[in-house]
Amino acid sequence: MPRYAMVIDLQRCVGCGSCSISCRNENNVSEGIYWSHKITETSGKFPNVRYHYIPTLCNHCTNAPCVRGCPTRAMHKLDNGITMHDPKKCIGCRYCMINCPYGVIYFNWKDAHPSWKSGNSVIQGVTSSPAEEVRQVGGKGIPYYNPERNETLPGIRSKGVVEKCTFCDHRVKEDKLPRCVEACPADARIFGDLDDPKSEVNQLLGKFRPFRLKEALGTEPAVFYIRDFSAAGYPRTKGGI
Amino acid sequence: MMKLNLWIGLLLIGILIGLWATFRIYTVGFSLYAKTDVLVWTLPLSTYIFFSLTSAGLAFVSSFPVVFGIKRYEVIEKRTVYLELAVLIGSFVCLILHLGSPLKVIYILLSPNPSSPLWWLAVLYCAYFVLLLSAFWRIHTGKISKTLGVLIFLIAIFTSTTLGWLLGMTDARPSLNASFFSFYFPLTGLASGAAALILFSMVSAQLSGQGVPEEKSALYNEFARLMGIIAGMVAVLFLWRTISGGISSTAVEYSAFKHMIGSIPYNIEFWLGLVVPTILMLSPSIRTTVWGKVTASVLLLVGMFAGRLEFVLSGVIRPLGQMAEGRPEIVSYMPTVYEIFVALFGLSVMLLIYTIGERYLKLETIPE
Repeated sequence: MPRYAMVIDLQRCVGCGSCSISCRNENNVSEGIYWSHKITETSGKFPNVRYHYIPTLCNHCTNAPCVRGCPTRAMHKLDNGITMHDPKKCIGCRYCMINCPYGVIYFNWKDAHPSWKSGNSVIQGVTSSPAEEVRQVGGKGIPYYNPERNETLPGIRSKGVVEKCTFCDHRVKEDKLPRCVEACPADARIFGDLDDPKSEVNQLLGKFRPFRLKEALGTEPAVFYIRDFSAAGYPRTKGGI
Repeated sequence: MMKLNLWIGLLLIGILIGLWATFRIYTVGFSLYAKTDVLVWTLPLSTYIFFSLTSAGLAFVSSFPVVFGIKRYEVIEKRTVYLELAVLIGSFVCLILHLGSPLKVIYILLSPNPSSPLWWLAVLYCAYFVLLLSAFWRIHTGKISKTLGVLIFLIAIFTSTTLGWLLGMTDARPSLNASFFSFYFPLTGLASGAAALILFSMVSAQLSGQGVPEEKSALYNEFARLMGIIAGMVAVLFLWRTISGGISSTAVEYSAFKHMIGSIPYNIEFWLGLVVPTILMLSPSIRTTVWGKVTASVLLLVGMFAGRLEFVLSGVIRPLGQMAEGRPEIVSYMPTVYEIFVALFGLSVMLLIYTIGERYLKLETIPE
C-alpha cells in the first residue's frame, strides 16, 4: 500500500492560486472554507522588505492530533496515509480544530453555499437569480457541482460538521493526481508514494533539504516544502560596525 | 407560595428562551454564535466546563461523609447530591448546544476511539449520571450507599482530571496545554462546588423563614472556612499560572494568555472570584454571618464562571496556521445574544430542577 505525500517547490510556486480555485471546484467547497490556502509573511523593514508565500493544505500527518482526539473516529487515517473525515460520524465538537496546529480544519457554521440559494436577481425580470441559475444548469446547490466528490464523501457537507482537504482521495483511488497538483501551471506540487524510493517525491526529498511546518510538534506532516523563491542577489560583504 | 410561583415562572421563561434559541441554532446554524473559524470554543463550552467542574466539586463534598467518614457532613448529604445532579444536567444542556450534530453522539458507542479524552469524558459522564441518580434515590429512600459514594467520588476525580488531559493534548495551544490543569480543574471545581452548596443552603434556609438551623450553623461556618482556604489555594495557583505562562514565558504561543491577563474575565476571576472571597472567609466575624457566606459564594461562583471563559478564550483567540491569514494576531470576542441564551438555558434548567427538589423532595432530610 502506498503512503502518499506531497512536495511543494517554493521556487516554482508563483502564488497564482490555481490550487485553491481548482480545489474549490473539485470538492464543492463552500464560501469561507479553504481546503487549500496559503500563509503570507513579510520580512524586513521598509524599504528593505520581502514577501513570502507558502501554499497550505491538510498535512495528512502520520501522528495526526485530529485523529487521536476525535471521539467517534470520524477523523481517521486511511491505509494510504490520507487523513480522512466521515461527516456521518462527526458530532461537531470541533476538538479536531482545537488539536490541529495548522488551522486547516473548518466547521460548517451554516448551510453550504448560502449565496447560491438567493432568489433575488440583480435586475428584476432581466437577470436570473442565483437559485434560478443553479436550477437551470441542474446543479446540486451550486451550478458547478462536481458529482465525483460524492463517491467517498457527501458532495456538499451539511452544517454542523467539520471538513478539510482529503488529498482528493476520490481521484487518488482512480490513479489520478489530486486536483491541485494537476491544476498547478508551474508544476510546483509533486505528489507520490513516500514508501517508493524511486518516486519523484523521494527524488526531490533526497536532492534538496526539505522542511515541514511546525516539525517540532512531532506530527510528521506528509506535506514537504523544498527550495525558496528568490531572484535577489547582494554585493559580497562582511557587514560593519 | 406567590414568590415560588413567580420564581418558577421566571425559570420557565428562561427555559422557553433557551428552547427558542435551540430551534434557531439548529435551523439557521451555528453562525448565530459569535464565532469565526478561529473562535471554535466560546461561552456555551465554557459554561459547560463551569457546570461540570462545579458538579465534580459537589461530588468531592458529598464524599466527605461517605468516603472519608466525616460523619457530621451527613446532614447536608442529600442536598449536596441533589444539587450535584441538577448542576450536571445544566452542564449537559450547554454541552449539547455546543455540539454541531448532537444526534450523532450515538457514534461514541458505535465507533469508539479510546485514544480520545473526549470519548472517555463521554463514557464517564454517562456512568456519572446513572450513578448519581441511583445514589440520590438511595438517599431519598433513607440510606446512604457507600459503594455508590465511592464510585461517584472516583468518577468525579476522573472527569475533572480527564478534562485536563483533553486540553493537555493540544500541543499547539500551550495556554490550554499543561498537566497542571489536571490538578487545577479538580481544585477549582471543589471551590465552585463548595460555593454552590453554601449559596443554595443559605438561600434555602432564609426562604424557609426559619433561618439556618442551630445544629447546622457550626458546620456551615467550618465549611465556609474550607471554601476560603480553597479559594486562597486557587489564587496562588492562578498567580503561578500567570507568572509562568503569561509573564516569564517567551513562547509566542502564550501571547493569547498574555492578552487575556488584562481582560475583564481575568480580573473578575482573580480579584472578585478569588481574592475577595478568600479575605471574607478567613475573617471570622464575616464568615459566621449569612450575608458574608452568601456574598463570598456568589463572588466565587461569578469568578469561576468568568475564569472558565478566560481559560477557553486564552486557548483560541490566537489564530493558528492558515487561519491567521488575513486576521489580526489576536481575535476579539464578544458573546452574541444566542450564546448568552444558551448559558441562561443551562442555568434555568439547573435552577428549576433544584427548585422542584427543594419544594418536593425534602432535601434537608438526614439519611441513615
